[in-house]
Amino acid sequence: MTDRRPGRSRRHAGKLAWAVLLVVSLLAPLPIMGLAADGDKARFTVLEASTRLVSEVYLLDARIAFDFSPEAIEALDNGVPLTVELQIEVLETSDLLWDGTVATLSQRDSIEYRALADLYLVTNLNTGELSSHTNLGAALAVLGQVVNFPMLDRRLLRVGSSYSARLRARLDVESLPLPLRPMAYLSSRWGLTSDWHEWPLTP
Amino acid sequence: MATHPLKRLASGPLPAVTLVGLLLVSLFMMSESTQNSAQFGRLYVWLLGLNIAGLVVLVGLILANLYRLSRQIRQQTAGARLTLRLVVIFSVLALAPVSLLYYFSLQFLHRGIDSWFDVRVEEALTDSLELGRSSLDLNMRVVLRWQQSLAEQLVDTTEGQSTFILDELLSSSAASDLTLLGDNGRIIASSSTDPTALVPSQPGEDILLLVRERQPYVGLDQIRDLGLSVRVVVPIEVAGSTELRMLQGLYPVPERMSELADTVEEAFTKYRELAYLRTPLKYSFTLTLSLVLLFALLAAVWLAFLSARRLTAPIRDLVTGTRAVAAGDYSQRLPQPDNDDLGMLVRSFNEMTRRIAQSHDETQRSQRLVEQQKAYLEVVLGNLSSGVLSIDHDLALRTANSASEQILDVPLCDCLGQTLEQIASDYEHLQPLYKAWDERARLGVGLAWQEEVTLFGARGRQVLICRGTTLAASDPEHAGQVLVFDDITTLIQAQRDAAWGEVARRLAHEIKNPLTPIQLSAERLRHKYSPTMAPDDREVLERHTETIVQQVELMKGMVNAFSEYARPPQLARNPLSLNPLVEELVELYRGSEAGVTLDADLDASLPTVIADAGRMRQLLHNLIKNAFEALTDQVGGRVAIRTRTRHTSGGQLAELRISDNGPGIPDTVRERLFEPYMTTKLRGTGLGLAIVKKIVEEHGGMIDVKEPRSGGVSISIRLPVAIAEGAAPTNGAPPHPPDARHA
Repeated sequence: MTDRRPGRSRRHAGKLAWAVLLVVSLLAPLPIMGLAADGDKARFTVLEASTRLVSEVYLLDARIAFDFSPEAIEALDNGVPLTVELQIEVLETSDLLWDGTVATLSQRDSIEYRALADLYLVTNLNTGELSSHTNLGAALAVLGQVVNFPMLDRRLLRVGSSYSARLRARLDVESLPLPLRPMAYLSSRWGLTSDWHEWPLTP
Repeated sequence: MATHPLKRLASGPLPAVTLVGLLLVSLFMMSESTQNSAQFGRLYVWLLGLNIAGLVVLVGLILANLYRLSRQIRQQTAGARLTLRLVVIFSVLALAPVSLLYYFSLQFLHRGIDSWFDVRVEEALTDSLELGRSSLDLNMRVVLRWQQSLAEQLVDTTEGQSTFILDELLSSSAASDLTLLGDNGRIIASSSTDPTALVPSQPGEDILLLVRERQPYVGLDQIRDLGLSVRVVVPIEVAGSTELRMLQGLYPVPERMSELADTVEEAFTKYRELAYLRTPLKYSFTLTLSLVLLFALLAAVWLAFLSARRLTAPIRDLVTGTRAVAAGDYSQRLPQPDNDDLGMLVRSFNEMTRRIAQSHDETQRSQRLVEQQKAYLEVVLGNLSSGVLSIDHDLALRTANSASEQILDVPLCDCLGQTLEQIASDYEHLQPLYKAWDERARLGVGLAWQEEVTLFGARGRQVLICRGTTLAASDPEHAGQVLVFDDITTLIQAQRDAAWGEVARRLAHEIKNPLTPIQLSAERLRHKYSPTMAPDDREVLERHTETIVQQVELMKGMVNAFSEYARPPQLARNPLSLNPLVEELVELYRGSEAGVTLDADLDASLPTVIADAGRMRQLLHNLIKNAFEALTDQVGGRVAIRTRTRHTSGGQLAELRISDNGPGIPDTVRERLFEPYMTTKLRGTGLGLAIVKKIVEEHGGMIDVKEPRSGGVSISIRLPVAIAEGAAPTNGAPPHPPDARHA
């Protein structure tokens, strides 16, 4: 039987309103948080990536094209250091279940402009290694050249299983100065992230 | 049941305080992170999202409250409009100062940030940087020349010799590191003042490209472990070969100059970064401030809803309670709010409803008592055998008991509100009663009157004894009259019967008893003395004794006739059709008297009456005989008998009329025509018409005598008809015997 009592329908309407409100409030921040991920994702591109097994260690060689947006270059030229993060993941692939993560690595490099010397400094934040360049292109070329990066000890992989590795590069918005961050969160011009580049890894 | 505490908790101030508190904390953390706090900086995006979610929740709550309020206003719920007014007032009160604060805060913020930057400072810093560059340029040019002179010494040096030569050159120069590079950037030889440096700092591809173009490169560089240094790379044309080599030298900038250059560069970079971040900084602060403003506004509006609802709750209760009281529910007790003015009002309301409820109960008790008394009075009046009518000051009938309806045979309950005149015009048989009341009722207040009234309706003749009183009342609404009447028809009949019975008994005792000795004595005288007397005397004696005996017999007949008249009737009433009886007697008398014609005009539709056939026969005998006797010695005497049906307000009546064309009624007897022993005839007993009248009254009828202008006498008799005609009881008893009306 249909209950047509007004009190019950009002209570149902009230519960529905609360549910809608809750969902809307939970979804409301998503556009803000997701804006950085939208926009031109292809500004950073992993051109190639491969691994070599040398002395039981997988070494990563990769080439990445960093195409900074004009806003990012303007910030760089105004003395704002930019941090680029290379995210590397080794996955154990499975046909039945989702892929398991074997290892996660991160390589962070910062690029900054030195006004006195009119140079671009590229610093490997993991090793502290410095390199200076007279122009931005040369600095980005060095930044995008990954050679002999020790990725994984082979003994961590089981024989018989299939593995894959993937790599992506992104501009670390969290490392920007705080006043820039809201704009970086809201503007797609700061959402500089490459797609994942994945390749098989044979133990 | 378990949901009640939760519901109370959810609807109380706790959720509001919690939400506002959480949002405040979130805003504080966001503000801290905006001010470069490393502690909250990483959480900035989450804090931003959390705050926006909180604001959406607040907007949702406000919308829900608005919807609820609009629905209450549409439904005209008590206190809804007051709540709306309070919400608008609170919101406007909050909006004005917060907006002002927001505006001026933004102004101060923007001006404050702008004030950090000064053109002169910027120029000074740029000039400082330029000065530093100029100073270092001079140094670099010296170093370049020095490096080129060193390179010239390596023009014809083989790769194997170059290491030694580089060591010599290093020792004789200010360089901290000298490296000989091939065309492709390969290190041929290297010499450094730092023995731990295994690999020299190499020039970048951009520098190598420049040098390959046979251009020297000199520039400042930040060298690891060396600090600010001058990097110089010059080309070397190998003698006798097309091979190009490069000589790189790293010359540390003097420490003091390096410190100064670092300071200038750091200040310049910081200032430039700040200048660049000026707009994002304003944007960031404006965003935080706007969030705070929105939060303050929305929280104020929401709290305005909560406060207004809380404030109007007692008023809403009061309105609900007032409506309940207006609807007659005096049991309303409002919940006690705080001990404030509204609380006092609610307490007063509760006290008022309590007293109203008491008064109402008291009134209801009194009303019940009055109703009980009224019902008791109605029962008493209903059980009274007397009819009681009350008439209001407008002469309209106000109350009538059931006895009055029975006596008058009128549905008086349907006539309440009508005047007696209207009722009497609708029911004509009540006219005598109305006339009697109308004459007496005008006598005045407080005066009582009594009168005997005779009605003649469908039930026949009724004698009522009426008593009326005008009521005295201070309030004209309650003034009026009371009319009490009793049907004394039977009583009068009984009294009359008793009186006549007594007369008959006395006559028998006083007159009839002596007659027999008189008669016997006369006969004895005749028997004793007749034989002894002379024939003449005997003849005289016999004639006189015969006269005595005859007169005594005559007196006995008279006494017997009177006894018969006075004897209580033993009636055998049955449905009786008058027409056959009339026809029978007409045939009996037709031609019995010479010179007198007897005509009958009978109504074929004459209804049946309830009557004793013998008594009715006697009645007709007496009437016809009386008419014939009136026409004695009259030429062309004519007697007419006619029956008719009469319709009155009380029902049908059967009318019997006997007319003659005799000399009429002498004036001396007209008033006493129906009294016993009233006769104009020499041999009449004087009981003929008295008996007729008696029989008519025994049957509840009316008798009337008229003298038409054409002469003679016309006697009409009206008898009530049987109510259920054709449904005569088989036992011969009348359906509604008049004498048993009040039995």
